Amino acid sequence: MDLFLKYLTLQDPNVRYVALATLLLGGVSGAVGSFNFLRKKTLVGETVAHSMLPGVLIAFLLSGVKNPYVLIIGAATSGWLSILLVDYITQQSKIKGDSALAIVLSSFFGFGIVLLTVIQSNYGGEQSGLDHYIFGNAAAMTPEDSTAFAWVSGLVLILVLSFYHSIKSVVFNLEYADAIGINVKFIDGLISFITILSISVGIKAVGIVMMSALLIIPPTAARFWTNSLVRLLLLSGFFGALAGWLGAFVSYSQASMPTGPWTIVIISLIAFVSMLFAPKRGVIYQRWSKLLLKRRINEENLLKTAVQNEVRGLGKLFNRRSISQRQFFEQRLWNRTVRRLRRKGLIKKVHTGFTLSTQGRSYGAEIDRRHKIWEIYLQRRMQMSINLVHDEAETMEHFLTPEIEAEILGELGLCSRFNPLLEIHELVPDNPINAL
Amino acid sequence: MDAFWIIVTGFLVASSAGMLGNLLLLRRMSMMGDALSHAVLPGIVIAYLISGSRASVPLFLGAIIMGVITTLLIQFFSSKGKMQADAAMGTVFTFLFAVGVILVTKYAGQADIDADCVLHGEIAFVPLQTSSFLGLGVPEPVWTLLILLGLVQLVFWVGYKGWLLTSFNGEYAKSLGIKTAIWHYTLMAATSVATVVSFESVGAILVIAFLVVPAATAYLITDNLKRMTLYILVQGLLSAVFGYFLSEWVGGSISGSMAVASFILFAGSFVWSKKRGLKSPL
Repeated sequence: MDLFLKYLTLQDPNVRYVALATLLLGGVSGAVGSFNFLRKKTLVGETVAHSMLPGVLIAFLLSGVKNPYVLIIGAATSGWLSILLVDYITQQSKIKGDSALAIVLSSFFGFGIVLLTVIQSNYGGEQSGLDHYIFGNAAAMTPEDSTAFAWVSGLVLILVLSFYHSIKSVVFNLEYADAIGINVKFIDGLISFITILSISVGIKAVGIVMMSALLIIPPTAARFWTNSLVRLLLLSGFFGALAGWLGAFVSYSQASMPTGPWTIVIISLIAFVSMLFAPKRGVIYQRWSKLLLKRRINEENLLKTAVQNEVRGLGKLFNRRSISQRQFFEQRLWNRTVRRLRRKGLIKKVHTGFTLSTQGRSYGAEIDRRHKIWEIYLQRRMQMSINLVHDEAETMEHFLTPEIEAEILGELGLCSRFNPLLEIHELVPDNPINAL
Repeated sequence: MDAFWIIVTGFLVASSAGMLGNLLLLRRMSMMGDALSHAVLPGIVIAYLISGSRASVPLFLGAIIMGVITTLLIQFFSSKGKMQADAAMGTVFTFLFAVGVILVTKYAGQADIDADCVLHGEIAFVPLQTSSFLGLGVPEPVWTLLILLGLVQLVFWVGYKGWLLTSFNGEYAKSLGIKTAIWHYTLMAATSVATVVSFESVGAILVIAFLVVPAATAYLITDNLKRMTLYILVQGLLSAVFGYFLSEWVGGSISGSMAVASFILFAGSFVWSKKRGLKSPL
């Protein structure tokens, strides 16, 4: 705990840069990754990150120094080339996007490995540390690196803010953006530019694979929580920053633990938790709402059938057998449904079976009413055969809201208190043409 | 003689990876090679820690199991978790790779294993691992790769009709009652085996390259699946030969050079296909 406080208050000068840099890096790449995520091009980051290796090495060969800015320019140039090449291959041949990504990735990286081995055998000490561009080494980060991160974050922020509306249109609807006169090519290039920029400053700290993960996973996690672009950007940036910051803490507190991989493990855990527990889009919520729906449908079916039996003069008493003649209930399902209905006070137990309460009767009648209204609608407006309308109505009866119901009644020219229970003959036999 | 065995190794990797890459390409899953080659890392490390040796069989088992788990996870995230398909893949493989790197770092002290040696096996060492099986000086990796090639060819040709149907038109295959999921998982398992077996001897980058580049080269030249496999073999052989001499010339990594050579061949077929106007609307 003391250690955590010490980390939190940035007392240790060694950790200050690392913590700040990973936090910035996570935040920026989380936000930038959102654009690629929404365009379903998340794996572009993976290819760009791998393709930067030869650029870094060529920049080193040309300049002879390991100045971070020079190497970043080299990295960005070859990253840019890789994107252009992917686009060129997909546009000019029948090779698809994913194959083009894999081709460019493997050949640029292969070329990088050749260069790296050549450099390693021809240069002495001054080349050591270049291989950090493959696996990353956050601990070796210098104040210069953190400054570079800060510059890049500021630049990305300014660019995104000033072109926000154009970017939004391009990301969500390319054709629309083109139609309203947005320079799509420019915005496309801009998104590539900020992607390349954040990867090129990040790879040395966390490595190639971890860098592409930082672009992919934060938006994936954030997407479970929101439908709005602004919130997606903010949340994704926040998740990225949080993971970067915690990752740096793990490597600070545990000797020899690498920052990059821990950042990725933490952000992945955030994504898994989001996938499971997020409201609305989370797996558990969806399972639960599906279960509730199933329960409601069973309850409604039971009540409706009981009402129908009453109307048919089969008596007010019902049990599993009498209901199952029209609506089959398996024993366990029956027990569970009956238990819930009794708890809600919709049915009552009497000595030989069950009977509807007043509320239960009106609920069941309402469902039956919706069923019949939908049948009439299908037959009159959709010209559907009388043989088919029942099955359709069996599902729709559970989903008709009072508003839709009123609208349908209006369209059919029926009184809003229309009750098909009393007017049996609303369905007419097919005429020969409908019967087809 | 060393040169010969290195080229043979390169060719063997190219031909087994290429055959599978062929199917991956047609199914638009080429990035799966990259994903699997990263994702199997924790499997290899765990297998190594359990078995305590670098013997091939446990490592292969670990990698195969991990490969299948990766596929299942991606499937689960995208269908049950409603993740975007590309994001599901990206999340799973980077997560597993990170776990692998952490395990390697944690146990690096106890074991002579590191991410470098797992991912960047060096083809240059192949001739050093000679075994005197049948009195022939054939390097051990060559035997392993020969067995792999045999298995891949068996899987490919025995299931040829199935591969053809499921790769070109999955929906149609499904409507014929073919269990497309089984074919999918078979391909994924085969790809992870091929990836692991090969990158022990040639390194991950060359496997990723050979999983896509030869197939893409052949795909630009022909539309016929049988002819594609032939061109893939030729492409692989040329890549191995040219790559070897390229590395001799510049004095750099042989695996990297073979990947570069393979790309140059791809570029050649790209230019050629553009000239012939073979751009099909497919």
